[in-house]
Amino acid sequence: MSRLFRRLRPPTPDSRLPRIAIAIGAALLSLVLLALSGIAFGHAPGELLSILISGSVGSKFALEGTLLKSVPLLLTGLSVAIAFRAGVWNIGGEGQFLAGALGAFLGARYGMAAALAASLIAGALWASIATAMRLWRNAPEVLTTILLNFIAIHLLGYAVNGPLQEASGKYPQSDVVAASLPAIGSSELHAGIVIAVVAAIGAWFLLYRTAEGLRLRASGFNRSAAKWAGVNVDAQLVRAMAISGSMAGLAGGIELLGVTHRLFERFAAGYGYAGIAVALLAQLHPLGTLASAFFFGALTTGAGELQRTAGISSTVATFGQAIVILAMIALTRRRNA
Amino acid sequence: MTNALIAAIPLAIVASTPLLLAVLGELVVERAGMINLGIEGMMLTAAMTAVVTAQLTHSVVLGFLGGIIGAAAVGALFGLFALRFAADQIVTGTAIVLLAQGLTGFVYRELQLFNQPVPRLEIDPIVPLAWIAIPIALALLLWRTRFGLRLRACGELPAAVTANGASVAVHRWTALAIESVLTGIAGAYLSLALSSGFAENMVAGRGFIALSIVIFGRWKFKGALLGTAVFGIAAAAQYAMQAGGHGVPFHLLLAVPYVVTLLILCGIAGRVRAPESLGKT
Repeated sequence: MSRLFRRLRPPTPDSRLPRIAIAIGAALLSLVLLALSGIAFGHAPGELLSILISGSVGSKFALEGTLLKSVPLLLTGLSVAIAFRAGVWNIGGEGQFLAGALGAFLGARYGMAAALAASLIAGALWASIATAMRLWRNAPEVLTTILLNFIAIHLLGYAVNGPLQEASGKYPQSDVVAASLPAIGSSELHAGIVIAVVAAIGAWFLLYRTAEGLRLRASGFNRSAAKWAGVNVDAQLVRAMAISGSMAGLAGGIELLGVTHRLFERFAAGYGYAGIAVALLAQLHPLGTLASAFFFGALTTGAGELQRTAGISSTVATFGQAIVILAMIALTRRRNA
Repeated sequence: MTNALIAAIPLAIVASTPLLLAVLGELVVERAGMINLGIEGMMLTAAMTAVVTAQLTHSVVLGFLGGIIGAAAVGALFGLFALRFAADQIVTGTAIVLLAQGLTGFVYRELQLFNQPVPRLEIDPIVPLAWIAIPIALALLLWRTRFGLRLRACGELPAAVTANGASVAVHRWTALAIESVLTGIAGAYLSLALSSGFAENMVAGRGFIALSIVIFGRWKFKGALLGTAVFGIAAAAQYAMQAGGHGVPFHLLLAVPYVVTLLILCGIAGRVRAPESLGKT
């Protein structure tokens, strides 16, 4: 048993370099494939990459945009990293993100703290529906979390067309939320970035520096071994799913309170699914998600610029996410084999 | 209300044909021990390649062939990762959905031909094929042939197949090929028959619903047909209510099929027996 736990320790410093090299390789590969697809349709690859870079980190304005996009990605990435570490297939980040945003909207009338707390709780509760179904009816969370995504999307659609629609009734969107996160200095940035970074450090501490985190990872590493070592694996499932859901919920809350200030139908915009790419590029390490969320934030912001100036669809960011996931799978597999 | 529902049944059967094809394909694949979330991406890619091929060749038949090739390319990618690399099938499937959404969204903006009218299916052989011929053929293949027995064994106890001197990989790749053909037709049917062309994200979660129906139908063809019919009629009823009734919130109605699927997963998931080696690498 002690051998199992020894294997779950954080990687020793010398093993970190190849891990980082793999991640950088995967990120570069996604950029190369993006450029190649550009060539296929007659876009100059150099121009494409230069727009992508200048549009994401080339100016103060661009960098702020990238950081703003990184915040929800960081939190949904943490959500996935925690769940996958615990061996829970939470594919429901999208729905939990929306639940968190709805919670934050309702909680905002009682102040900022209440709004943030409500987003955490709403995300955790939405994820816990899947946990309950798994524990009581043995329904696989892979499927239930995906279905809950669709239900959340339609609930939000109902909310912004019905009870939460703006007072003027003009557009399918809510009124401006009652609270908003303070801006940082004179920039576009808001305090949510601090919360997200603290959450990442907190998640790292929880997973790698506490006994609770060890139990969580042990349950994911080898469920039956953890059970025989005296870990209550069902309780770990409940906790992992709740923490994971609360992170995605917080992402939705912060996006509402810091960026959009209103709810609308296409609010989630794929952040939940993007979290899977963020987590895998970080190799499920909470601190790694800081770097990988920044990368995907830059990719998303740069893709937006590509759409504006070169007329290339911003869905290339989604393409990049997919390439990174597949590259990470291929590269880490080959290393283990 | 009842009359409106009965009148909606033929339409429901036609409209849920792509869903049924996806269900049939996923059933075969899951019986062989794999779970392919990527069918959403396979259908989406097929819907696009079908339109491109149909535009270039001015032929609907070749359009369907183009759809099958598109789905097969995506299916081969899934096989490469899930079978060759023994990667996690859930994560691979999710990546494939993102890949298809990203790529089709990108190509959709690059090609002008999506703005032009697309050749459409005049006579529709797909509906009877999907609802009668294909399920019977697949059921006979899986339960009345040695190949089918081995394919199902790949889903239950792959080691037994190996011990018998047969190749698990060959059977699973064949299952993926069958799924590719079916989802290819499904995607092409979406863009060439049910709608007139390609639209971004036009598969709209059908792949994920198909996954649920396979469970609802307890991994049997009869169950798959019944489950798809129930879903199709429920969707049609929803539109009928939307058109006829006032005060029923449209967006809540849209959520109903997903809630029903959740309840089905919960209600019977304890009693159904999945293929023993489903999703294990």
